[in-house]
Amino acid sequence: MNIAKGYRSPLMITFTTWKALFLREAVARLTSGRSAWVWLLLEPVLQISFMLVIMTQLHVRTVGGIDTVVWLVVGLVFANLFKRTASQAQHAISANRALYSYRQVKPVDTVLVRAALEGFLMIVIGLILVAGASFLGYDFTPNESWVLLGAFINIWLLALGLGLIASIGVLMIPELEKIIAFANIPIYMISGVAIPISAIPEPFQQWLMYNPIVHSIESARKAMSIYYHTSPDLNLFYTTEAALFCVFIGLSLHSRFVAKVYKK
Amino acid sequence: MIIIDDVHKRYQTDHGHGPWVLKGISITIPTHLSVGIIGCNGAGKSTLLRLIGGTDTPSKGRIERRCRVSWPMNYGGGLQNNMTGRQNSKFLCRIHGLREQEIPERIASIQDFTEIGAAFDQPVKTYSSGMKSRLQFGLTLAFDFDVYISDEATSAGDAAFRNKAQTAFNKLINRASIIMTSHGEGTLTQFCQAGIWLHNGQAHWFDDVKDAFAAYKETLPK
Repeated sequence: MNIAKGYRSPLMITFTTWKALFLREAVARLTSGRSAWVWLLLEPVLQISFMLVIMTQLHVRTVGGIDTVVWLVVGLVFANLFKRTASQAQHAISANRALYSYRQVKPVDTVLVRAALEGFLMIVIGLILVAGASFLGYDFTPNESWVLLGAFINIWLLALGLGLIASIGVLMIPELEKIIAFANIPIYMISGVAIPISAIPEPFQQWLMYNPIVHSIESARKAMSIYYHTSPDLNLFYTTEAALFCVFIGLSLHSRFVAKVYKK
Repeated sequence: MIIIDDVHKRYQTDHGHGPWVLKGISITIPTHLSVGIIGCNGAGKSTLLRLIGGTDTPSKGRIERRCRVSWPMNYGGGLQNNMTGRQNSKFLCRIHGLREQEIPERIASIQDFTEIGAAFDQPVKTYSSGMKSRLQFGLTLAFDFDVYISDEATSAGDAAFRNKAQTAFNKLINRASIIMTSHGEGTLTQFCQAGIWLHNGQAHWFDDVKDAFAAYKETLPK
């Protein structure tokens, strides 16, 4: 019978599709526009340099007991990982519309693959930044490597979850796109990326600790040095819970609504 | 064999549900039988082809493909505009489960068939509609499907390409079948034995495609 000929299991089809999409997205991300790959790296470098100049002028040599450079590099790499993953995932469906002609490719595949690619790229970018900073004499040896890795995975998972929700959300309610674009700056301000959480007075500090992004970034900084002092409420598992919740909601929205909205 | 079981389809619009395009279609298309789908504009021909090809899902009912079915070839569909012809080809080879070492050979045969020369390495957005047709046709033929789905696939090519496509189609019929739509009666009768006439959301099966055409013509205003 024809069923046997060239039969592939659903899992196999999914994996080959993910691989094909990953390579396709990687080529697009690194080659679209003039020297796109340079800008991928240059953006965080410029952000870090800019913040560094300001903080040096203010004579801030250490933040919460660790070197300002270490504090900034960790914060901005994590913030960029979050922003890029969520934003790339959010736009995955509209950017890959042509590919849904092939029944092997589902919208959720493109969202997952884009998030994976951003995570991978940010590991590479982070390593290059750390190598560069170490070369200039800064100490980037983490005290607790596993916590650092955990914080990285958690913030990525949170961005993936929010990206999954947003990718469907903007198709169902197009106005969401404008709100998300606006929300970027406030989120940046309340995530402790450029403003030290420990410098914020109570009761506001406690309020900021409801933001799961803060827990990941501060945990990562704490993983760099035991001397780093941060909020006493710090708990990385809070980020994990929020992330898993968002991923669950995002996947549910995809399985429930995607067929209805993505063909519009 | 493709089993279409009580398939309904309506689309989502900005103002809720659209009207029913297909209202309960049940048809079994046997293996090695080429079928032409006939109907006026908006009768749901392309919708039915997209459902058979798995590009879209039915609102109600189900479709079972017990053979390897191609994606629906139609004008401009399925090509990523900012990728080159080669990159598009590579992507398709990968999602159809080819091993990395098999890909170069397959891409060479696609490039050979399309005859678009250096444009194969240019982004698809720079292609003319004829060049897109050539690429799409070459891509579909590169894989061994049991059933090929064509939604007016050859309409945009020039005379030379149409001849080539026709020869390729003829060769195909020996090992596979085609499910197609076309407004040209000649094309349909040349390639298809059976016909499906879509009318008011219902499908009518005819063992001879000529009878399907006759039924379709009777409903046209004189």
